[in-house]
Amino acid sequence: MTVYAALVVAVIFASGTFLLLQRDLTRVVVGIILVSNSAVLFIISAGLTRGAAPILPLEDEGASDPLVQAMALTALVIGFGVAALLLAMVYRLYTTHGTVDLEEIAAAEMREAEALERTDDPEREEVPVAEQDSGDEPR
Amino acid sequence: MTDGVLIVLPAGIPWVLAALLAFVDGRKRWVGLVGAAGLAASLASLVWLTLVVLREGTVETVAGGWPEGVGISLRADALGVTFAAVSVAVILASLLYEVALGVRWRAFPPLVLLVAAGLTGLFLTGDAFNFYVFFEISMTASFVLAGYREEDYQVRAAFIFAVVNLLGSVVFLIGIAALYSITGSLDMATIASRTDALDPRSVIVVAAVIFAAFCLKLGLFPFHFWLPAVYVGSHPPVAAILSGALANIGGYGLLRFGGGILPRELAYGSVAVMVLGTASIVYGALQAISRRDTSEVMAYSAIGQVGYILLALGVGGPLGFTAAVLYSVVNSLNKGVVFLAAGLRGPLVGAAFAVGAFSIAGVPPAAGFVGKIAVFKAAIVEGSAVTGALLVVLIFAGSALSFLYSFQVYQRRFLAPQDGEKPGPLAARLVVLSLAALLLAFGLWPEPLIYLSGAAAEVLTGGGG
Repeated sequence: MTVYAALVVAVIFASGTFLLLQRDLTRVVVGIILVSNSAVLFIISAGLTRGAAPILPLEDEGASDPLVQAMALTALVIGFGVAALLLAMVYRLYTTHGTVDLEEIAAAEMREAEALERTDDPEREEVPVAEQDSGDEPR
Repeated sequence: MTDGVLIVLPAGIPWVLAALLAFVDGRKRWVGLVGAAGLAASLASLVWLTLVVLREGTVETVAGGWPEGVGISLRADALGVTFAAVSVAVILASLLYEVALGVRWRAFPPLVLLVAAGLTGLFLTGDAFNFYVFFEISMTASFVLAGYREEDYQVRAAFIFAVVNLLGSVVFLIGIAALYSITGSLDMATIASRTDALDPRSVIVVAAVIFAAFCLKLGLFPFHFWLPAVYVGSHPPVAAILSGALANIGGYGLLRFGGGILPRELAYGSVAVMVLGTASIVYGALQAISRRDTSEVMAYSAIGQVGYILLALGVGGPLGFTAAVLYSVVNSLNKGVVFLAAGLRGPLVGAAFAVGAFSIAGVPPAAGFVGKIAVFKAAIVEGSAVTGALLVVLIFAGSALSFLYSFQVYQRRFLAPQDGEKPGPLAARLVVLSLAALLLAFGLWPEPLIYLSGAAAEVLTGGGG
């Protein structure tokens, strides 16, 4: 049983890592989701014990360990929240560049930076102090 | 009972305030000021807590009134409160700075407060899993902060930052689960006492996993690849929060888990730790010299500076841990000063930056000197003759290099004629200056800091193992 669990965790972690190394940002997010879920599986397989539901353990029967379940749930919730945040970031990049490919985005940024240097707009200096003074304009 | 309330305040105040301020528009000045007031209150309660801890020893309480060993314990000792106080101070300065410049996001003040709440929470917890949860609270808030201002390269940097650090968090979570599996407890003190009885071969793997996770947070040499992109892209106050406060998680985690919970495994790996520290110092300094952009230089300098913390940790013993704590505190103040000063122009800012640069190089009037001296002392007293001599040479060379790049930057940035550039708002400059004054004060009167670091190291060598 332990070997199977270890195998499953290893395969999921490895496929997550593989996806993390892709250029497509949505795949990266999926990779992170897989990796964080492999950690949840690891928590469960490392500490799960068989027994009665640990609501009100009576002394004659062994209850299963509630801490493992609590940890797994917490880790799941955190992983879910962060995955949502990452997807929002990917969407934000998609709306400006129309692509989710990391290299295409980087290339587009390079082109913008070069165009900026050619026009040499003083408003777009590294630290726009004058802009910062006025402050309150909405974004 | 009052101690039980006191220990909740540093994390509780910013947490509650963050939840409330999330409903109002953070771009209004008063919202930022209320947030700063909350951070100041948190800092005040931390100072009070520090005094209580120094007078009466570790303060401990179990959340929710559960019996000890069942509930989650909050534990404030000298190590935790030191790190918490310096982190909140840097975050407070960064928030005030950004309020003075004008906040651009409605969610900025609550996010900064959440980072502070998560950080103080993880420094003041006695439970390994609770540590992970607080750690994720501050990390998630900082992922959003890294994209502050929403320039495309900032969002991309934030994405890289989030993905790399999430991987680190998952690795750390696996480490925690493994610790729970081999010791059957999540309470740090219990884990520490039970790992001693275990076969070191089973614990060393877990120790390596946890070590890798914290090195990733700290941005140490082989794990540094994400750091320059993020620090260079970020807006100055955000960079100051990331490198002056959030990076403390790595230093604290290494001290707490390495020095306090797994001291035997740390001793086994001390050579590896020192080699990594050395590599980090050399790599960071050489890269920093070859860069021209101020924030880029400081980003690589951050990689080099954490190397000293690792060296001190590898040397170990009371003096080594004292030096590591001292250096972490000084380093996070340094980073706060230089990153904040790098975003401004005008009189006073140059002076503040010079103090920060002196401090990084370890030149006497600034606090960096105290930190370097402590590492020197640890290397000579705790190490053997050969390693001691080698380390002294290395530290000296590293300091010389950091002196070089700091003043290259100073020269390019503040001495060159700057026509047509308006100085930044006076309030922001005063914030930077007061942080620099704090560095000078610690340099001129280092006794409190040394005493505090000594007390923190005592927690690790005396009570932890």
